[in-house]
Amino acid sequence: MEERTRAYLRGRFRDHYRRTELTLPPAANEREWGYIPWTEGPDTTMVRHRSLLELGDLEEFLVRKRPRHVYFSAGRFRDPGAGSMHEKDWQSADLVFDLDADHLPNVTLGEDSYAEMLATCKDALLRLLDFLEDDFAFEDLEIVFSGGRGYHVHVRDESIRHLDREHRREVVDYVRGIGLEFEELIETETVAGLGRKTPTERRTLRTEGGWGARTHDRFMAFVDELLALEEEAALERLREFDGIGEGKATATLNAARNNREGLEAGNVTVHTAVAQLAERFAERAVEADNAPIDEPVTTDTNRLIRLPGSLHGGSGLETVRLERDEIDAFDPLVDAVPETFTGHEIRVDVADGGEVELGGDSFTVPEGDQSLPEYVAVFLMARGRAEKEKE
Amino acid sequence: MERLHARYPFLEAAREAVATEAVDLATIVEQDGAVVERATQRVVTALEDGEIGDARRDPRTELLSYPVARVLVSLVDEGILVRKYARAEAEAAYERFTADFEDTVELKSVSSSGLELEDLLREFDLEDDVRSTDGGYRIGVGRYLPLAAGLRDDRWRLVNRALSGGEVPIEDDELHALLREAIRGRIEEGLPFAVPDAIATSLEDEAAEIREVLADLELTREIDTVVPDLFPPCMKALLDDIQKGEHLPHHSRFAITAFLTSIGMSTDEIVELYRVNSSFGEEMTRYQTDHIGGETSPTEYSPPSCATMQSYGDCVNKDDLCERIPHPMAYYEKRIEQTDEDDLEDWREESGEPAAGD
Ligand code: SF4
Repeated sequence: MEERTRAYLRGRFRDHYRRTELTLPPAANEREWGYIPWTEGPDTTMVRHRSLLELGDLEEFLVRKRPRHVYFSAGRFRDPGAGSMHEKDWQSADLVFDLDADHLPNVTLGEDSYAEMLATCKDALLRLLDFLEDDFAFEDLEIVFSGGRGYHVHVRDESIRHLDREHRREVVDYVRGIGLEFEELIETETVAGLGRKTPTERRTLRTEGGWGARTHDRFMAFVDELLALEEEAALERLREFDGIGEGKATATLNAARNNREGLEAGNVTVHTAVAQLAERFAERAVEADNAPIDEPVTTDTNRLIRLPGSLHGGSGLETVRLERDEIDAFDPLVDAVPETFTGHEIRVDVADGGEVELGGDSFTVPEGDQSLPEYVAVFLMARGRAEKEKE
Repeated sequence: MERLHARYPFLEAAREAVATEAVDLATIVEQDGAVVERATQRVVTALEDGEIGDARRDPRTELLSYPVARVLVSLVDEGILVRKYARAEAEAAYERFTADFEDTVELKSVSSSGLELEDLLREFDLEDDVRSTDGGYRIGVGRYLPLAAGLRDDRWRLVNRALSGGEVPIEDDELHALLREAIRGRIEEGLPFAVPDAIATSLEDEAAEIREVLADLELTREIDTVVPDLFPPCMKALLDDIQKGEHLPHHSRFAITAFLTSIGMSTDEIVELYRVNSSFGEEMTRYQTDHIGGETSPTEYSPPSCATMQSYGDCVNKDDLCERIPHPMAYYEKRIEQTDEDDLEDWREESGEPAAGD
């Protein structure tokens, strides 16, 4: 990035911060703050271990320093400005989740467009929220578009802020479905035999919550699909599963037809084939429902996270707080374009052109000197794909 | 009351009772042989059998032996002793409270030494987070996680629990196991502490006895110290490569990871260490992480010997000490031994330059 470009972006970031009101995170003065200034070269040195006291009024600070990136800590400390973690004296930390398009399994880097990656990311966000809102019943959630390639969720419920990294890893594993053991989802009870029969074991899938419930939902949907099919088609569908032959297919179909209530109650003792199939659906549930969050962000209780409301220096987009009911309609490539950068064009020299979707439009940007809407130009400059030209 | 406290000396009320006894610990350890003897037994049996031995009939002796036992554990000052001791105390408490819970109501009215579930829940501030349902209990997930963290079986992993509405359903015996963990945590808390000289001197013989038992059990050989400066040359080189974000072949990655695990580092800490200096190698760090996480846990494997390291070409920059040891672990143990304990700064204590979330 050339000095002229840097100076331009710096100036425009300042203009943006002048006209923007920021909302601080709760307990802002117990947190560590950090920022990355606009400096030469690709290497970015973070200035950190700052307390709000040292920065002064945040808005005034942003206008003065107009940093490239701004962060605050998930952790709360007694002395957030101290230079070592030990002296900071950790008190608690928000539970933070990071979904980053770069790390999603169903994103093909280099092939999917930015918009496509972000859409995939939003699906993952909704799955994550499902866990956080239903399974964990968290109430204090802040959902944020990161301004870059994904979404953050900050959970601030009192009941979990004390958890250390080991405990947080359990939360990560839960939402990612890591370490799931089908056998552990099964409850085994000894039931008295009817009449002269000897007591037997009844094995039941725990359907009241967790991955057991997710497995069960998928399995029952499959059972109902079977019931809607003709006999032959149903048997064939069953035989598609590895290890399910003629006999097991018939037994399963019979169980579905004659004992749907048993299956509904989670009883997998109905037939060995049923348990075998249910286990498949546990794998499928994990594949389909897991939220592929970036583990280190969640387990690190000292982590710095991008400040909502600030600008992302690698895209020129705004880090946007989202209300729960805004997510569906939210289009990051429109709604995160800062107003400051709309409404006029500027001259840039594009080194790396191509398709750019932004602000509700799609641009085919050629290489070379040209005029572009400012938000497109800022985006390209922030990404290192263009340099500022003299007007 | 005294009997209850003697049975459950970790209770807050028991601690207060000891405090109001108005005798100071120094006098007790000097004058009350029976208390000191029982205290020593608590610690020694904890090490040898994982139990705390039979209770003394006199509740006062029994009760006072608990704080004295804590002093002994502190004097010896070994992590493994703290853990073993806390485990044994918690186990004893567990046996007592499960028996108490089963006692019939009539029996309880006779002796006041019985503890009820509600008492224990209140003691650990769990009464609002645990509620009974038909067939068991539900516990708030924020309380569940720390309590279940020390339990190894897969069934305790959150991913295998029927979590809903922020609560984890648990059965009776599981609640009891979690309470045992709460007690273990309470007992470990604050151990070891600094012991005043006067007390330390009176307990010299007992502390020496415990050290001997420890030595016989060879438990202290767990290293659990992370000082990268003292790593053998081969491991330093591998760690360097990782921190620079270089791609390592499988055997090298395995060697360094197994080594770090063997010296007591958790996967999280290893990831953190790998990240040091590599704020630009984010991709790489993650790559390494995924591989550690994805492979069969290296905990079960010990790092390769020098011979193996050599055959893979991972043995580099050999120094004098290398000539005298057969194994990178032996190298590290020697270096740790040779260094004054006060000069050993564990990397984990000073860690903390975490990268920013993006
Ligand atoms: S001799 Fe052993 S400890 Fe020394 S560098 Fe070689 S492998 Fe490592």
